[in-house]
Amino acid sequence: MSPRRFAPLLLLALAACDGEKKETPPTPAVEPTGPVGTATPSLSAAQRLTGPQYRAAIRDLFGAEVVVPPALEPDVPLEGFDAVGSSKSTISARGIEQYESASYAIGNQVVADPKLLGRVLSCKPSGLDDAACAKTFATSTGRRVWRRPLTNEEADKIATVITTSAKTLGTFEKGLAYGVAALLQSPSFLYRPSVGEPDAASASGKRYTQWELATRLSFFLWNSVPDDALLDAAQAGTLGSYEGVKAQVDRMLASPKAREGLRNFVTEWLRLGELDRLEKDAKLFTTYTPDLGPVAREETLRVFEDLVFDKNEDFRDVLTTRKTFVTPKLASMYQIAAPSPTGFAAVELPADSPRRGLLGHVSILALYAHPTSSSATLRGKFVREKLLCQTIPAPPVNVNTALPEPTATAKTLRDRVQIHFQNPTCAACHKIMDPIGLGLEQFDGIGRLRSKENGAVIDPTGQLDGVEFAGPATLAAAIHDHRDFAPCIARKVYLYATGFAPQEAEEATITALSERFAAAGYRMKSLLAAMATSPSFRALGAPH
Amino acid sequence: MVTVGLPFLEIFARERRANAAPDSFPKRFGMFFWGNGVLPDYWVPKGTGTSWELSPTLAPLAESKAKISVVSGMKVPIANAVPHLSGPIGFFSGSPALATDKEAFAAPTIDQIIANVIGTDSRFRSLEVGVQPGVKGMSYNGPRSLNPAESSPAALFNRVFGAEFVMPGSDAKPNPALALRKSVLDAVTGDAKRLQGLLGSTDKQRLEQHLDGVRALEQRIKKLEESPPSLAACKMPTAPKDSYPDVDGRPPMSEISRAMSDLLALTLACDQTRVFSLWFTQPVNNTLFAGAPAGHHQLTHDEASPQPEVAKILVQIMTELAYFLKALDAIPEGDGTLLDHCGILATSDVNYGRAHTLDDFPIVIAGSANGALKTGVHYRSPAAENTSKVALTLARAMGLSLDSFGAEEGKTTSGLSAIEV
Repeated sequence: MSPRRFAPLLLLALAACDGEKKETPPTPAVEPTGPVGTATPSLSAAQRLTGPQYRAAIRDLFGAEVVVPPALEPDVPLEGFDAVGSSKSTISARGIEQYESASYAIGNQVVADPKLLGRVLSCKPSGLDDAACAKTFATSTGRRVWRRPLTNEEADKIATVITTSAKTLGTFEKGLAYGVAALLQSPSFLYRPSVGEPDAASASGKRYTQWELATRLSFFLWNSVPDDALLDAAQAGTLGSYEGVKAQVDRMLASPKAREGLRNFVTEWLRLGELDRLEKDAKLFTTYTPDLGPVAREETLRVFEDLVFDKNEDFRDVLTTRKTFVTPKLASMYQIAAPSPTGFAAVELPADSPRRGLLGHVSILALYAHPTSSSATLRGKFVREKLLCQTIPAPPVNVNTALPEPTATAKTLRDRVQIHFQNPTCAACHKIMDPIGLGLEQFDGIGRLRSKENGAVIDPTGQLDGVEFAGPATLAAAIHDHRDFAPCIARKVYLYATGFAPQEAEEATITALSERFAAAGYRMKSLLAAMATSPSFRALGAPH
Repeated sequence: MVTVGLPFLEIFARERRANAAPDSFPKRFGMFFWGNGVLPDYWVPKGTGTSWELSPTLAPLAESKAKISVVSGMKVPIANAVPHLSGPIGFFSGSPALATDKEAFAAPTIDQIIANVIGTDSRFRSLEVGVQPGVKGMSYNGPRSLNPAESSPAALFNRVFGAEFVMPGSDAKPNPALALRKSVLDAVTGDAKRLQGLLGSTDKQRLEQHLDGVRALEQRIKKLEESPPSLAACKMPTAPKDSYPDVDGRPPMSEISRAMSDLLALTLACDQTRVFSLWFTQPVNNTLFAGAPAGHHQLTHDEASPQPEVAKILVQIMTELAYFLKALDAIPEGDGTLLDHCGILATSDVNYGRAHTLDDFPIVIAGSANGALKTGVHYRSPAAENTSKVALTLARAMGLSLDSFGAEEGKTTSGLSAIEV
């Protein structure tokens, strides 16, 4: 039934062109389960909520109707992830102002709309100074906003803010808005403290508390706050065992919120947020418009979401698939008929197209390029760092880095970058990057297909760590099968989930995660579940 | 502190300044930063001392020549481990990078060191603004503690001159909500302090930064209840555009910069802050400048010598610096102008963009800081002196009594006497 059975015949038939090569992992009869990794944790920190996490939290706490002001403290990536940066970054004075302003904007919206208010206020206040109703609100909403029960003192404090404000401003609702603001401005909302409790079983002697673990799970898988069911599980203490965590994780991965979580992981991993600020010379690239970046990002995110949740197939196939989702605009850039007159729709690129998978998306091709041209080095660096987890050292100082202009005998970028390979100081790093990017040179600075540059035919052949490729399709297959690719995905998930670069003692867990990923046919849901249910994830490491 | 051979007049002048009557106008400190360095052959002026010519890159500053000084030949003292970042780290903080992360500042930057002393009573302790859309800047309170720049002129306008602006000379409006906001901040402070007691030292520090921000906000609210004395030069600026979209894929850098410059000039004239930094572009930025055939960073590396397109971009950047300085100089303050009361450090992240060098660092100092700095001078260091000397001079010119600036190989105990009055 699977067309993959015919792959060897196809390969022979298309031997003259850049054909496809696919390896099918053994389909597991039973999904492998059981805990993965040791109980050796990563470092710990009070991670700051990122911008997208703040917005998702407000949506989940108060409703999608609430408009969150656009200006919030910017996120700072570390190790390529905002999630890792959030372990270390602080909130600036301007950020404090922005969160204050946002908290009132949100509080005022919630109390002004009876439907929204009804979701968070269960009692009917008897008057402006109804301390009991104020405390009920503080207790129930506080539990959700701070992701733990408030102490008596904390609830009283918030209740006092509410009643004092109510009396000053004239209505109980207006007072409630200040209560919401107080909850949202507090570090108990804006950070995820990791204090923990003793645990003899963990390598560090400590584990996250049930509440902290609920938060850790929901931010990893949903990029948002725990829902009531997860908070209840924490309250009941069921998150202490593999089985208890797995039950929640399975539920969470089946929720639509897991798609948001995956989208956020992919956006951070591939730096797709920078597509909002794509700068391309519109005179050179006449099809470029300012909305191209965000539209291109959406294509890539849909492909990942479809592969992981709707198909639940080999994650590596994101590189080799011909299936994607396009708007009419993207369809015209890919030179195919638009599958639908408006919006995104599924499409399969023709077999004779050199374009394959992620490295054929406008998103990656445009982002890892220059404003006025393609870039073999930036694209090669992308593959090495983001897909194979290999670091490229910084360029040496005092080096003449000029690239010769095109000449009559050196028309293409391939010709012009030869200088990178002639100088041994440059070649050391450039021979690791440039050949990969040169394999993608048929795609210009915004990802459109071309066969020639300056009148000369582009040569997209090369080799990747000993594997020859004839063009973008076989390059994609070479990365797909590269022994470092799948383990790199596991490593990226680990970084994202824990918020830290791993220390030596954590490598055993990363190796175990890679093995589980392979055993599960490289299904991302299995990797996510393995990470979330790993004993290392529950153990609380030393503060950073 | 006294070195052999120092003319007596200068020693006397220094002491006299220490005992002088307070200035009738406050001193302001600022930074103007652009990424990707300069072309040394086009940057370094010919001639030194008081007879020198503006170089081709500096030519746009002609009208302000008497009020600027150029310092050349200085070297950033720390190891050049990370191109484009080691320069700012070594210069602006005077200290090496974090041992565990050579891309990270380990110490506060000079603007915050100064703001800690002269900014504590202002409505805004400091203001960080930018021109390149999304530029974050490099104003640090300490490791990992960035003060991100505001790159939307409209947002800056709202922040400074919006609903919470009290025109100097007018009466503050009573507002019952202010006390309520303060009560919320009290609760927030209590929450932060409780958390600090439970966390490790690094997170304690991070929450201390958070509390600093809360205190700054409380300071701002306090200002809302005060009626500030009138200032002749203060007036409401015209509101800038809501947004400055790209034109044919190129950000309108000049238009944005001028909007920011005009706002910043009035922000200072209205004494809303005394410390600012203007981040024109980020290190490594690949901005498509007007008329350029490629992004700035790409050109610094790929364009063949003598890199005429890079030279054109640098002239565009210096033209915007000139506009900013003229905007400050157009505001009368007492017998002088706002620019006379400023000490502004204009610099980049490297010297030669193509080679990422840290020697012969490009430095312009604008304004005399109420007579504490010499202007109209080109000082060329004969001995690759430490750029920390410039930072120390500027800090002292702002009134800080510092024995030294910087740490380890970046540390200096002497300023640059050539530009000190």
